[in-house]
Amino acid sequence: MMPTPEKPPARKPDKPFYFNTSEHLLRIERQRATNLCEFLQALQTCPDDSIFQHTFRTLQEHHFIRHGFSNDFAHWSLSACHEPVLGEQLASVDVREFTAIDGLRGRIVEIVDEFLQSHPRSGSRPGHEPFYFCAADIVVLPTSFVANSLTGFLDGLNQVSVHSIHHHFIEARLRLHRMSNDFSQWLEEEVGLPQAAEAIEHIDIYTTTMEGVRLQIARIVEQVLDLGPRPQ
Amino acid sequence: MKSKDERATAPSSLASSQTRAQEAEPEAVASPAPAVRTARTRRSDRQLPASLLTPPAPPPPPHLDDYQSIIGQAQVDALRFLARDLKGKTLKMVNSTAVGGGVAEMLNRLVPLLSELEVPTHWDVITGGNDFFEVTKAFHNALHGSPYKLTKAAQEIFLMYNEQNRERLQFGEELVVIHDPQPVGLIRSRDKTPASWVWRCHIDLSNPNGQVWEFLRPFVEQYDAAIFSSQSFARQLPILQYLFYPCIDPLSEKNKELPESQVQKVCEEFGIDRSRPIVTQVSRFDRLKDPVGVVQAYKLAKKYVDCQLVLAGGGASDDPEGAAVLQEVKEAAGNDPDIIILDLPPWCALEINAIQRASTIVVQKSLKEGFGLTVTEALWKGKPTIAGAVGGIPNQIIHRLTGVLVHSVEGCAFQIRYLLTHPEFARSIGVSGREHVKENFLITTNVKRWLLLFRILNEAKSRRKAPG
Repeated sequence: MMPTPEKPPARKPDKPFYFNTSEHLLRIERQRATNLCEFLQALQTCPDDSIFQHTFRTLQEHHFIRHGFSNDFAHWSLSACHEPVLGEQLASVDVREFTAIDGLRGRIVEIVDEFLQSHPRSGSRPGHEPFYFCAADIVVLPTSFVANSLTGFLDGLNQVSVHSIHHHFIEARLRLHRMSNDFSQWLEEEVGLPQAAEAIEHIDIYTTTMEGVRLQIARIVEQVLDLGPRPQ
Repeated sequence: MKSKDERATAPSSLASSQTRAQEAEPEAVASPAPAVRTARTRRSDRQLPASLLTPPAPPPPPHLDDYQSIIGQAQVDALRFLARDLKGKTLKMVNSTAVGGGVAEMLNRLVPLLSELEVPTHWDVITGGNDFFEVTKAFHNALHGSPYKLTKAAQEIFLMYNEQNRERLQFGEELVVIHDPQPVGLIRSRDKTPASWVWRCHIDLSNPNGQVWEFLRPFVEQYDAAIFSSQSFARQLPILQYLFYPCIDPLSEKNKELPESQVQKVCEEFGIDRSRPIVTQVSRFDRLKDPVGVVQAYKLAKKYVDCQLVLAGGGASDDPEGAAVLQEVKEAAGNDPDIIILDLPPWCALEINAIQRASTIVVQKSLKEGFGLTVTEALWKGKPTIAGAVGGIPNQIIHRLTGVLVHSVEGCAFQIRYLLTHPEFARSIGVSGREHVKENFLITTNVKRWLLLFRILNEAKSRRKAPG
């Protein structure tokens, strides 16, 4: 249940919200796995960038899928290894529960390790195709949108690319090292809207597209604006 | 990259370059126009419409703003922001052909767009005699896994022409990109230039002929980075490796939006009945595209669902093997009036576009594939697509999310039945497939990747130069 957004205080944010975006260039890494045993080993040794790529980043690459796609590890377990139990378990890993790659890697390794202990024969069975570990070089870019007010924020939100939404809403956790996102942080700290910030944080990214996420955030902000006088 | 758009034109800077491909261009034009062959007995003698007998004039290349309505202003802005820090820095592309083939087609669109972003991009084409191109053609096939014995003479021919081109070409740019194996030896000029050097490999190196790969590998390892079209095409190398998916141009004749009247006109010309479901495969008449398997799948599906099958391709008029495959397809089709087989010349991009748009389902049941740009084209048109899980196709089709992957004739037949009887599901994968292309496989995304790579290599070079 989403908290009801509150009436906004008549306060102008001290700091504007700068909408940025990030662009990624995919690198092909050395690790590859042809079965689940190799997969587990590679998960333990691959660079942090690879874990980021196949979990956080792949959500951006596949932002248009409403449901049925969670991360590359889950997808490979199901489509190449035909292991639906493992696929479901890996798909249930919510990247937003992690503020550092270490914790996320640990959770994925734990799931695969436990699965292989209970299904030892699955470990050496070759997958239909190998899993190729990739990573990404990231370049953060400005956009032309800067919000000095809540209405300006809504305007920018509606016009930036979905890459920008992903950058501020999903990737931000690793930057902030806290269970939040850039939008919520700004709304709470600069505009004094903790309930709207919390409502945004509760949006389920795995049952909607990134456009859907944008719409839900916009709706929450619009609701706040409609409830009271718009900040000057 | 195998798709061809003979309407593509090289930039004017290439006008004086003498290339084998330019010599070869009229060959495609001069080929006798193939007849439209259809299994419908009443239409078996139908010839191509007169308008298709000669290639049309090439349209002017689009500008960046022309893509705004497709990718959105925010994405166009991102390209401009990315290019801002590269303003004035120069880039050189080198390949072996100015026209014909997917690489030239892609460069024809990419080079003007990069230059428009104020990243001046020069495109040079290497020259060579027939002996050189015979060797490189053999290398190409060997790198795809064909048996080949590498001789000393072949090595000498390869090295001699690379040396000739190295002496002829200047490398004053900040980034030099060498496309495919033919000019790979130009890397020997690296020490004379301050540039970063990148090898862009468009072919599948997953199972290369060992002798040829071991001959080429020492050259490749001298580059700063290599770029492949799919993770599965790459080799283990001691240099950085990047993934650039091939791309399509949404404004090209083959992919641009078409008015309904034009789609209808093309269908009428080819005897395609739009009141009934249309299942289409677009590809050369090549056994690796399994056109006979498609006919078999259609026949299995037809027991349960009404549909027509359109097999639209080329390559049968100037390739003996293509002609043999076409004959096999006609025999498999028998006298079924609902199987329409079209052997089209390479400049019929607009007609292919119309046929894809008229289709209810598009099939690409390849047994072996490069990246599979015909799949990209179908997905871009929002068509529910069934394809073999080979080559780069799984990069494009996420099973049951952006299309359907199959591994057999029977699987293909079932998916035809399923998609024709579940239009909502078919529509949903079509919508996601188009979004997948928009995000990952358009020329604008390719422009972005080149800009990103240029920035990343520049920054790495600056870090290396910085004291301490």
